Amino acid sequence: MSEKKILIIDDDQPLLLGLTTRLKASGYSVVTAADAITALTVARKELPDLIILDLGLPGGDGFLVLERIRSLADLAVTPVIVLSARDPAGNRKRSLDAGAVAFFQKPPDNHEFLNAIRQALGETIALSAFLKT
Amino acid sequence: MTETAGPSTSLRSGRDDKYVTTQDTSENPPQPAPYTIEVVELSPSLRAELLDLEAWGEILATYGRTMGVAVALTDAQGRLLGETHNAQPVWKLMHDTAPNWAGVCPFCVTLGLPCTAVAEALDTGGVVMTRDQAGLTHVAVPLLLGKQPLGAIIAGQVFDRYPEPLPLRRVAKEFDVAPQQLWDVARKQRPVSGSSLRASGDLLRALGHAFLRQRYAAILETKLAETNGRFRLLVEEVRDYALFTMDPLGRVTSWNCGAERLLGYAEAEIVGQNFSCIFTPEDIENRVPEGQLHEAMQAGRAENEGWRVPANRKQFWADVNITALLGDAGTIRSFAIIMQDVSERRRIAALLEETRLERGRLQEEFLSHVSHELRTPLTAIYFFITNLFDGLLGDLTPEQHATLALAVDNVKQLKDMVSDLLDITRVETHKLTVEPQYASPVKLIAEVLSTCSTNATLKNIHLRSDIAPGLPFVWADPARVRQILINLIDNGIKFTGEGGTVTVANKTFPETHGFLCLSVSDTGCGISPENREIIFERLTQLKSGGETSRGGLGLGLFISKELVLQHGGRIWLESRLGRGSTFYFTLPVFALAKLCAAVFTAANLESGSVTLMAVDVVEVEGALQADLLTEMRKVLERCIRPGQDVLLPAMSDTEPVDSFFIVASAGDSGSSVIASRVSRELQNFDRTSKLKPAISSTTLHLLPGESGEEHFDEIAARIERLIQAHLLHKESLK
Repeated sequence: MSEKKILIIDDDQPLLLGLTTRLKASGYSVVTAADAITALTVARKELPDLIILDLGLPGGDGFLVLERIRSLADLAVTPVIVLSARDPAGNRKRSLDAGAVAFFQKPPDNHEFLNAIRQALGETIALSAFLKT
Repeated sequence: MTETAGPSTSLRSGRDDKYVTTQDTSENPPQPAPYTIEVVELSPSLRAELLDLEAWGEILATYGRTMGVAVALTDAQGRLLGETHNAQPVWKLMHDTAPNWAGVCPFCVTLGLPCTAVAEALDTGGVVMTRDQAGLTHVAVPLLLGKQPLGAIIAGQVFDRYPEPLPLRRVAKEFDVAPQQLWDVARKQRPVSGSSLRASGDLLRALGHAFLRQRYAAILETKLAETNGRFRLLVEEVRDYALFTMDPLGRVTSWNCGAERLLGYAEAEIVGQNFSCIFTPEDIENRVPEGQLHEAMQAGRAENEGWRVPANRKQFWADVNITALLGDAGTIRSFAIIMQDVSERRRIAALLEETRLERGRLQEEFLSHVSHELRTPLTAIYFFITNLFDGLLGDLTPEQHATLALAVDNVKQLKDMVSDLLDITRVETHKLTVEPQYASPVKLIAEVLSTCSTNATLKNIHLRSDIAPGLPFVWADPARVRQILINLIDNGIKFTGEGGTVTVANKTFPETHGFLCLSVSDTGCGISPENREIIFERLTQLKSGGETSRGGLGLGLFISKELVLQHGGRIWLESRLGRGSTFYFTLPVFALAKLCAAVFTAANLESGSVTLMAVDVVEVEGALQADLLTEMRKVLERCIRPGQDVLLPAMSDTEPVDSFFIVASAGDSGSSVIASRVSRELQNFDRTSKLKPAISSTTLHLLPGESGEEHFDEIAARIERLIQAHLLHKESLK
């Protein structure tokens, strides 16, 4: 099975660096984008298996990016995890309503965060696999 | 007055001849007093005032002089109050020789034997005549006010016939007086016959009674005049309050200067008018004045605030207090109204509240901004350090590893402080909220223990849990409960020395029924009583056992307290200096019966069964999306029949929640109605058929007589067990 590809959209370079190391170590390949416009281009080109999305981005709000991603046929079902410094009150619900699978406030707990990624990638949903067979 | 014509007289046998004259009030009513006085319980000071010797002096002295007897006033115990008027020679002689006759009737020339004349007179209300050993006679006249014994008048100390030598000699010997001396003195006294002494006793009784009533009335009148004067002065001088009275129909009957100043009407123009004239037209239309009168009439008083309109039509905000004044028969005779202009107070209060909210809003905005800005670099640091710590960037020496462990711990502390900063602002702007759900305390405690174990291990502290099996589920916000527990445990770790123990346990108190009580105890330095008071206040930081360790912002316990209160629980602590502390907090136990209350009605349970329906949803492609499940809940909400079925909240605390439960009444027919609605609605909702709902029902048959309210908890418990079994079964499939 080939490596799952994760796109991180965040304008904070140090964060991109730190998170990339962590994800690569967990066996994922990583691509990054630091603003809204690049993010959509990269997403369309790379067709990642999962997207980690910041909400405060240069060039457009994270919710806009999420909306655009959902409207693209290729990316409509790609799971998106929101990772933002914003207050979970309100933003968590708004993110989930807009189609994200999870919301994490920065900084996330490594363990919980990776679990959520694995779950979103269908790696831990044994039930759905069980039902498919 | 003679024995046959006068009041009935009885002869008592005893050591002395004693006659009791009792006035039978029913047969022989007393002379009508000029006015009747209802006597209230007499205070000691009023008693003293009623028996004031100076007031009585003249009447008693005159009586004694006229009748040729000695007269004295006693209290209700028979003790002489002051001197005897017109003291008789024998009495003077005996008193000079034996001045200390404590407890002995001062009028009896008898040693050692008690005279009960006063007590008997007060007891019977009649005049009691008694003759002592020497042949001297006296009468005790009761002084009663209503039925309350006040004291007595004793008159007498005269021979009721010519003195006999033999008893006199015996008495002289007893008192150690020369018999000749006593004889000489006695001979000088004029004998008064028994019948005339009794008659004078009756006269004295009437006199005493009349004088007492008169005196009582006079005292009351003086007091009333004083009170009235003071009250009138008070009412008239009060300028800041409008004080006025109304009749039961709301017509003004009096009006003070404060009312005139505040409302602009002179007393002459407003008296007789209905008080509704000072209300706004809207209030009058809405019958507010009548409502207030009605309230005051029902409850005895009415308090309210509202606009009032004075003569110049410039309305003000008034604080009004209406009191109903009762008449004799308990009916409302009038109303007293106290009114104050509180427009300024109201304006300032509104301004203050506005300022406070504005300040809170600015503070929240600022802290939210700060928190946001701090989080971004903190996240990068967190990733870098954990990457290093986990060896993602190469192997570490044990020393490096230990150092990085400290760094990780510090970053976590920093993260918590940033969260606390926002929470504290939310407390102030009342925005700190909890979202309770069905939650397992056992699971929460296990999670928290694993989170805190690193910290505990670092300090070589034994972290353990002592939880009884079968803890009930709670109705609480899991994230917030975790936060409370972590705060308490971290606190315990902070204040406990190396090798100590921090224990999470559950506790049962009789007063915490309906709540689960959890405790976090440590074996640390303990908290002094004065600190126990302030520990839950914001920004409280205690020195940990002399060493100055960095302790965060001092907001943890304050926030924990707020969170516990938000859950409807309470938090407190027990502590012994040097021995450790235990923090307790309570969370409401999840009560399915409460949620099902709408369904558990006699009509619904008549069918003899309740059905539990489970709707399990799986998404065919990919992972379940939270928003789909949220929508699903809304769909189910539409499918249930209001008043008959209940859609339960999430009954498992694992994410995502993909099982929904409905408690339906009216047995199988009810659940089949819902089942068909669910399938129809879902077809509309999910045209792509990504969701696969599986509906299963279990019907709970009630035993005859089990539909009573006392069985609701039991039925709910059975339903809860079914739900748990269902979830366990599903878990096992995964």
